Amino acid sequence: MSDMNPAVALPGNTRATLRRNFWRGVWRVLKRKPSRMAGAIIVLAFAFMGVFGPMFYPDQLPRDDNALYAPPSWAHPFGTDFEGTDVLALVITGSQYVLLTGLVTAVITIVLGTGIGLFAGFRRGRWDSVLMRITDMKLTIPGLPLLLVLSTIWKFSSAWEMGLVLGLLGWGGVARAVRSQTLSLRERGFIEAARGLGLSTTHIIGRELLPSMAPFIAMNMLIAVTGAVYAQVGLFFLGVLPFEANNWGVMLNLAVFGGGALTTTAALPYLLAPLLAILLLTLGIVLVVDAMDEIFNPRLREE
Amino acid sequence: MTVIARRLAGHLARGLVMVLVVTTISFVIIRNIPGDPIAARYEKLIEQGMSPDQAERATAVLYGFMPKGTLWQQYVDYMTGLFTLDLGESLMTPGAQVTDVLFEATKWTVLPVLVGTLLSFLIGVMMGVYAAIKRSGKLGDVLAVSGSLLHGIPQYVLALLLGALFTTLIPILPSGGTADIMFEPGFNLDYIGSLIEHATLPVLTYALASYGGWILAMKSSVVTVLGDDFILAAELRGMKRGIIFRYIARNAILPLFTILALSLGLLFGGAIFIERIFNYPGLGLMLIDSITNRDFALMGGAFLLITVAIIIANIVADMLYTVIDPRVRSGEEVAR
Amino acid sequence: MTVETMPKAVPPVPSKTAPGVRVGGLSVVYKTSAGELPAIAGINLDLVPGTITGVVGESGSGKSTLALSLLNAVQPPGRIAAGSVEIDGLGDVVALRGEDLRKARGRHIGYVFQAAQNSLNPLKTVGKQLLDLGRSHGVSDLRALVREAKELLGRMGMDGARVLDSHQHELSGGMRQRVGIMLALVLNAHLVVLDEPTTALDMITQATILRIIREVHEERGLTTLVITHDLGVVAEVADRLAVMYGGRIVEQGPTREVLGGPRHPYTRGLLRAIPRLVGDIDEARALPGRPPTLGTVPREGCVFRERCPLRMDVCDTVEPLAIADGPRIVACHAVDAAAAKETKA
Repeated sequence: MSDMNPAVALPGNTRATLRRNFWRGVWRVLKRKPSRMAGAIIVLAFAFMGVFGPMFYPDQLPRDDNALYAPPSWAHPFGTDFEGTDVLALVITGSQYVLLTGLVTAVITIVLGTGIGLFAGFRRGRWDSVLMRITDMKLTIPGLPLLLVLSTIWKFSSAWEMGLVLGLLGWGGVARAVRSQTLSLRERGFIEAARGLGLSTTHIIGRELLPSMAPFIAMNMLIAVTGAVYAQVGLFFLGVLPFEANNWGVMLNLAVFGGGALTTTAALPYLLAPLLAILLLTLGIVLVVDAMDEIFNPRLREE
Repeated sequence: MTVIARRLAGHLARGLVMVLVVTTISFVIIRNIPGDPIAARYEKLIEQGMSPDQAERATAVLYGFMPKGTLWQQYVDYMTGLFTLDLGESLMTPGAQVTDVLFEATKWTVLPVLVGTLLSFLIGVMMGVYAAIKRSGKLGDVLAVSGSLLHGIPQYVLALLLGALFTTLIPILPSGGTADIMFEPGFNLDYIGSLIEHATLPVLTYALASYGGWILAMKSSVVTVLGDDFILAAELRGMKRGIIFRYIARNAILPLFTILALSLGLLFGGAIFIERIFNYPGLGLMLIDSITNRDFALMGGAFLLITVAIIIANIVADMLYTVIDPRVRSGEEVAR
Repeated sequence: MTVETMPKAVPPVPSKTAPGVRVGGLSVVYKTSAGELPAIAGINLDLVPGTITGVVGESGSGKSTLALSLLNAVQPPGRIAAGSVEIDGLGDVVALRGEDLRKARGRHIGYVFQAAQNSLNPLKTVGKQLLDLGRSHGVSDLRALVREAKELLGRMGMDGARVLDSHQHELSGGMRQRVGIMLALVLNAHLVVLDEPTTALDMITQATILRIIREVHEERGLTTLVITHDLGVVAEVADRLAVMYGGRIVEQGPTREVLGGPRHPYTRGLLRAIPRLVGDIDEARALPGRPPTLGTVPREGCVFRERCPLRMDVCDTVEPLAIADGPRIVACHAVDAAAAKETKA
C-alpha cells in the first residue's frame, strides 16, 4: 500500500496512531448517545443474519398444514404463512437475498459513482460536462418505472443480477456528489498544492482526495444499501417479477394480495414481520449514518 | 428575458433528447421481449384467416409499429407514431386509444398527489422552520429525528402500515378503489364523500412519505440563512422581528420551491406503490397492469408520460427559480 | 427627532446632536466547551462627541466584539458579562431589552457592515429594504425617507434612484459600502459604528470611502467609531485611536500623538511592521509570534508578554493597569517603570 511514494508517505507508526485515534473517536461518538450504539448493533445483527441465518434452517422450510395463518405463539413468534411455514424463519432465510443485493448494489454504485465523479471533477473541461450531462439524464429517467419496464425482459433471478441492475441504475447521485466534493477540494487549492509538491496524479487521488472523501463515500454506501433493499423488496412486492427466491418482497406481496392482510387480521403478522425487519434495518442505518456524520463532521459537534 | 429564453431553449433540447432515450428504451424492450409477441400476434392473425396486409395493420395498431421491415424502419415508424401522439390501442381495453386510457388514469394520479404533496409541503416547511429555530432544544431534536425517520422509511412500508392500521386493525377507511360502487358517479354528496373517504389513505401516505424530506430540507435551509450576514445586519438596523422573519422565510424557502416542482414531477411515477396497495387506478397501477397483461403499447405510453412529467417539472422548477430569484434573472450564477 | 423635522437645506450644526459614549469596565465572554472565555475584558473607552475614534487590532483582538457591544448585539454563544455602555440620550445600552433595544438600533446607532459581507437581503431591492427599515421604526412619511436616502446616496456620488432600484448583486463592493452607510444614517442616527469599512475594497475605492466617512461625519455632526485592522485607515480618518490586543485596550490617545510617539511595545511593534515607501525595506519588521485566540489568552498577567521585548517578571502575574498621562492612556508595566524612573530623576 505504501510502496508508491515512500518519500512522502507517512511513517508507519504515525499512520497507525492516526488510525487508533480514529477508532477512539468512533468509540467516543458511539458512547455519547446510546441510540447510536443501538444502531451499530442493529446493523451488525442484520449482517450476521444475512450471512449465517440461512444455515440454521433446512433448505426446504417445514410446513404445518394444520396451522395455516397461525397467530403468533412461542413456536411461531410471528405466526405462520398460508402454507403453515414459520414467518420468522422466512424473514431470516429471506434476508440473504435482500442484504446481498443491497451489498452488491452499494459496491457497484460506489465504485462507479466515485470513479466517474472523481474523473469528472479532476479532469474538468469537456469530460466533465459530457459525464455530467449523462449523469443528469440518468437522474431524470424515473428509476422505478424503468425497473418495471425492464422487468418484462429481465427476471432478476439471482441477487447478483438484481444488485447489478440496481447498481447500474443508481450511481448518478453519488457521481454528482463526489464530483462537487472534488471540485470544492480543488477550489481550496488542495490539488494544486499537491501538484506543487511534485506528487503524481495517482498519489493525489489515492492518498489525498479519496481519504478526505472516504467518510462521505462510506455514508453514501450505507444509504445505497438501504435504497437497494427498498427498491428490490418493492419490486418483488409489486408482483411483476416471478417468485423464484424467498425474500421479504415476496412475503409482502403474498400477505397483501394473497392473504388479504389489508382486509382481514389473519395474515397481519405475516405482513408485519418483513415490514418490521425493513423498519429495523432503516432505523439502524439512520442511526449509524447520524453517528458517522458526527465523526467526520466535527463542525456539527458544537451545536 | 434573453437569459430565460436561453435557459428554456436548453431545457427543451435536453427534454427532447430524454424523450428520445426513453422511447428508444421502450422500443428496444418491446422488440426484445422473449417469445416475440409481435411476430406471434401477427402469425396468429394470419392463422385466423386475415390477409397479411390486414394482419400487419392490426398488429401495428397494437404495438405502434409494423412487424415487418428492417429494425430501423420499425423504429422510425414507432417514433413518428409517438410524435403525432398516436400511441396505438390498448390491449387491455380493446378499442380504446392508449392516449385516452392514459388521460383517464392521469386524473386519478394527479389529484391525490397534488393534495398530498402540498399538504406535506406546508406542514413540513412550518415544522422545519420551528426545528431550525429550536434546534438546540428537545422539541427541535424530536422534530428533526422524526423527519429523518419518516424520510428514511420507503413509501410502500408506510402505505402498508397505514393500511394495516386503518383498514384491518381499526377498519374505519376503505381498503381500495376510488369510490363505493353503490353511489352514482357525479356531483352528488354521497359520491364525493365516498371519493374523499377512498382518497384519504393514498393522500395521507403521500403526505407522510414526503413530509420528512420537507422538514429536513427546510431546517437546513433556515439554519443556513440564519447564519447569513444580512440577517444580523437587519437585526442591527433595528428591523422588526416580523420583517426579519419574512427575510429568513423567503430566502430559506427559495431552494425548496425548486424541489417542490421537481417532486411533483417525480410523484407521477412515484405513486406506483400507493396505487398498487390501495388499488387506486392511477398511472402507476396502469403501468403495472400493462406489464402483467403484456399490453406493451400502454406500457410504453405510461413510461413516456411519466418521463415527460419529470422533464416538464424540471423546466417548471428552473423557470420558477428564474422568476423568484433576482440573481438568476440577471444572469448571475448562484452558488447555492 | 423624526426625518420630516430634519432641516434639509441647512446642514445640521456639528456636535450639537452628536452623543458622547462612555464604555466602562466592559467584559464579554464566549461560551465554549472549555467554559466561558473572555473575548474582551475590562474595556474602558470614551467616545468624545463629534469625534472619530479608530479601534485598531489584529483579528481575534476583540475589536468586532467591542463594536457589537455598543449595540448590545453580541451574538450567542457570547454575552456581555460585566460593564456598561452609556450613550447620551439613550442611557446604558447594556440594560436595554426588547423593543427599546430594537428601536435604539438603527435610529440612534447606525452600524455599517464590512463591504465584503452581504449585509442586504439578496431577494429585495435596496429601496424595498429601505421601506422595511422605515416601517420598522414607525416613520410615517416614507416619501420623505426615500427622498432623504436619495439625497444621501447622491451626496456619496451615486445615482440614488438607480441604486434604490437595484438588488445587492447588482452593486459593486464600494457601492454596497455606500448603501450601508446610507442605511445607517437615513434614520438620522448620530452615533455610527463602521466595522472594517475599507476591507476588501480596492485602493481607489478605499480612499473614496474614507473621504466620504470624513465628510459625512463633519456635515451631519456624528460621533463615529471605526473598527479596523489597518493603521493607515485610522491615520487617515480618526481623531482618537485605541489599540486592542487580546481583548484589552493597551493604548489610546489622540491619533497623531500615538502614531508619532507610540508608548506600548505592541503599538511600537505594529508601527515598525509597516513598510515605508521611502527607506530600507529591511527596517519593516513583523512582530514575532502570533496573536492570541480565545483559548490562548493568558488568564493572568499581561496578555502581550509572550511577544513583548520589554517583558519583566511582574508581567507574568499582574495585569498592567491603564494609566492616564494627559490625553494618553497606556497599560504596560514597562512604560510605568520608565515613567516612574523619569519622575524620580
